[in-house]
Amino acid sequence: MNTSCAATLTRNADHWVGRFVAMASPCEILVDDVQASLAQQVLDVVASEAWRIERKYSRYRTDSAVHRINDSAGSETVVDDECANLLDFAATLTRLSEGAFDITSGVLRKAWTFDGGNHVPSQAQIDALLASVGWHRVEWQRPVLQLQAGMQIDFGGIGKEYAVDSAADQVERIAPGLSCLINFGGDVAVRNARPDGKPWRVGIENCTRMGAAERVVQLSRGALATSGDARRFVFRDGHRYSHILDARTGWPVRNAPHSITVAADTCTQAGTLTTLAMLKGCNAESLLRESGAQYWLQ
Amino acid sequence: MKKLPFCLVLLGLAGCAGVQPWERDVLARPEMSLDNAPLEAAIDDHIYFSKEASSGGRGFGGGGCGCN
Amino acid sequence: MKNNDNLNAALAAATCALLGSAVAAPVAAQEESSGWSFDSTLLYYGESDDRVRDISAAVAAQRDFGDERKFSATLTADTLTGASASGAIALDRPQTFTSPSGRAVYTTAAGAVPLDDTFLDTRFALNASWTQPLARLYTVSAGVGFSTEYDYTHLGANLSLARDFNKRNTTLSAGVAWSQDDVDPVGGRPIPLAQMLDVGNDSNKRNGGESKDVLDLLLGFTQVLNRTTVLRVNYSYSDSSGYLNDPYKLLSVVDPLTGDTLARVPIGQGPDGVYLFESRPDARTKQSLYAEVKHAFGTPVMHFAYRYMTDDWGIDSHTGEVRLRWPLGDGYIEPQLRYYTQSAADFYRASLVNGAALPRYASADFRLGDFDATTVGVKYGHGTTGGNEWSIRAEYYQQTGSVPQEQIIGNQARREQYPDLSAVIVQFGYRFRL
Repeated sequence: MNTSCAATLTRNADHWVGRFVAMASPCEILVDDVQASLAQQVLDVVASEAWRIERKYSRYRTDSAVHRINDSAGSETVVDDECANLLDFAATLTRLSEGAFDITSGVLRKAWTFDGGNHVPSQAQIDALLASVGWHRVEWQRPVLQLQAGMQIDFGGIGKEYAVDSAADQVERIAPGLSCLINFGGDVAVRNARPDGKPWRVGIENCTRMGAAERVVQLSRGALATSGDARRFVFRDGHRYSHILDARTGWPVRNAPHSITVAADTCTQAGTLTTLAMLKGCNAESLLRESGAQYWLQ
Repeated sequence: MKKLPFCLVLLGLAGCAGVQPWERDVLARPEMSLDNAPLEAAIDDHIYFSKEASSGGRGFGGGGCGCN
Repeated sequence: MKNNDNLNAALAAATCALLGSAVAAPVAAQEESSGWSFDSTLLYYGESDDRVRDISAAVAAQRDFGDERKFSATLTADTLTGASASGAIALDRPQTFTSPSGRAVYTTAAGAVPLDDTFLDTRFALNASWTQPLARLYTVSAGVGFSTEYDYTHLGANLSLARDFNKRNTTLSAGVAWSQDDVDPVGGRPIPLAQMLDVGNDSNKRNGGESKDVLDLLLGFTQVLNRTTVLRVNYSYSDSSGYLNDPYKLLSVVDPLTGDTLARVPIGQGPDGVYLFESRPDARTKQSLYAEVKHAFGTPVMHFAYRYMTDDWGIDSHTGEVRLRWPLGDGYIEPQLRYYTQSAADFYRASLVNGAALPRYASADFRLGDFDATTVGVKYGHGTTGGNEWSIRAEYYQQTGSVPQEQIIGNQARREQYPDLSAVIVQFGYRFRL
């Protein structure tokens, strides 16, 4: 995938807007009223961090760490600290979801194409792929990782939210206390509140009518993450199968909400809650309610 | 006029105090707003207006009444 | 799936391990649906000794139209019952007074401080205001107000302008407010210093209402002192003119030696003593200086306010108030303390001495006397999911006054000279968004 390495900065009424593309999503940052040079620095730092993470963890790029890991499935690889942290985090999520979430479930992509069509693979196809799925099949002893032959890892489920938080850290490093909103394709974080107390306004897209925001959430501080099936699903026999697959069965989650948005202190936490809730299918709301987090369903 | 030196002191204060826009995290908390409970303030003002000879100070009184 | 409390704790720990640094600030997110936010309150005010009781309910609605344009409106209703000290002094014998309507009499027991005839009054008030930016850094605000009760109506308007300086660290504001009030007392307006007469005799009253106009000017200065402290200083000037008397307040005319109220024999039903209606000047100019500071000590927030007021009736007052908001569980607790002291108006008289020249202005209204008042209270508030908050507040208000030594005559020294007041205030509040 060829990402455009261009980041543009424009000025709105009382804030700056920086735009670029990363991780196959439109990304933007909104920076509160500061000097142009600082806004440009902030944009550069955020875009660089987004592209760095994309380069390192994209499964498409031949120069990424993930590609290197997947290529050497069957033998040991050594990973760096950041990758090790992500693997530990993924392992925790697998445990918390009792196996439903699994970064090794990427191979199931071969059976499912979520294009709005109605193609559903056969059980045999799925069973064949399931042989290569399962964190329990992975040898992970930090910093050494060994996948079985034919297995693949994919950080797609947590990468974007992690990138948002990591970019926010970078901004905090060069401009502590600055209020800026980082939005990578719907995963949003605001580290510090705006000086005049005005919140940033985030529109949550309406699933049924593309492009029209159904709700506006005023985010003074914190993060929002959204998980939904709006653009990637399979429709068959009156059921809508979202693109989120349960790694234990190889099948997509059924009767999950169309879209879940969660507000939490960090984007990673928000994103994790949406994913774990989605994986509960029809019980998504009870998980969210008990988590105590603010959430919005569609 | 007696009030003038006081004004100068205030404006002098303005020059040397203040925070950068990104240091307003604490000030952004609702309980740090000077008018975070306007209804309660109005009710208190009304009670004290009807029992004492002074009124207001914070802003305009919400309205007269026959109680004073 | 595992127990969700464990889920949250495990998630928080895992995220912390992943992201390395602790992200301190908790999330603050709010759905903006219709932009309406409401604050509602229910208040009970009750004075001891069966004096005034008030129950009031108010709802304030605010709508944010974005771009700092706001509309707000408040509707208040309150019901007042009971009576306050009328200004007449207590005696060792019972006293009889003609009621304000002039159609009946009421009595006060021996030794008791005379109170006005008991009344029931319901008041409604409506205030609305609109705020919007006028230009970059300028904000303008305009409002109207209206209130009505059985003997009083109020109509007012206000306008103010504010300008920010110094990266919004400093704000200067100026405002003006006008109001016109109409007083139409029950039974007619008493002629100042006229004597209270028998039932059915209204020669001491004038018909029709009177009006009172008030002009207020406000200059304000708000300054951020540092990351955790903000200061506001206001100067106000207020000019009232018109009918400023309280039509129901009296003064007792007393014997210069005994200090007891002169006796009077009514023809039919009427007062058994000599009482005169009060008289106040028809103009009053007040000035006040008000300062408040809010300071955060970590999570707790302290609020301190002071006001000095002086007017051309000779009244000077000082008000000091301190509140400390402390987090408690999922909510907060906020103890409050207020201290108020005022000096008496020049024309304040505990009673009028028979034989001495009648002053031009005289009032025995306890609210114009020399007194201290203290309020102690505590408020507890609790936020709910969705950003709503309910709160409860309880306060105790105590007023203790004194009469200047030279105004205490004869037997008055051994009786309660100043009608001290104490009241309990309980308030429930609920803020919510739709």
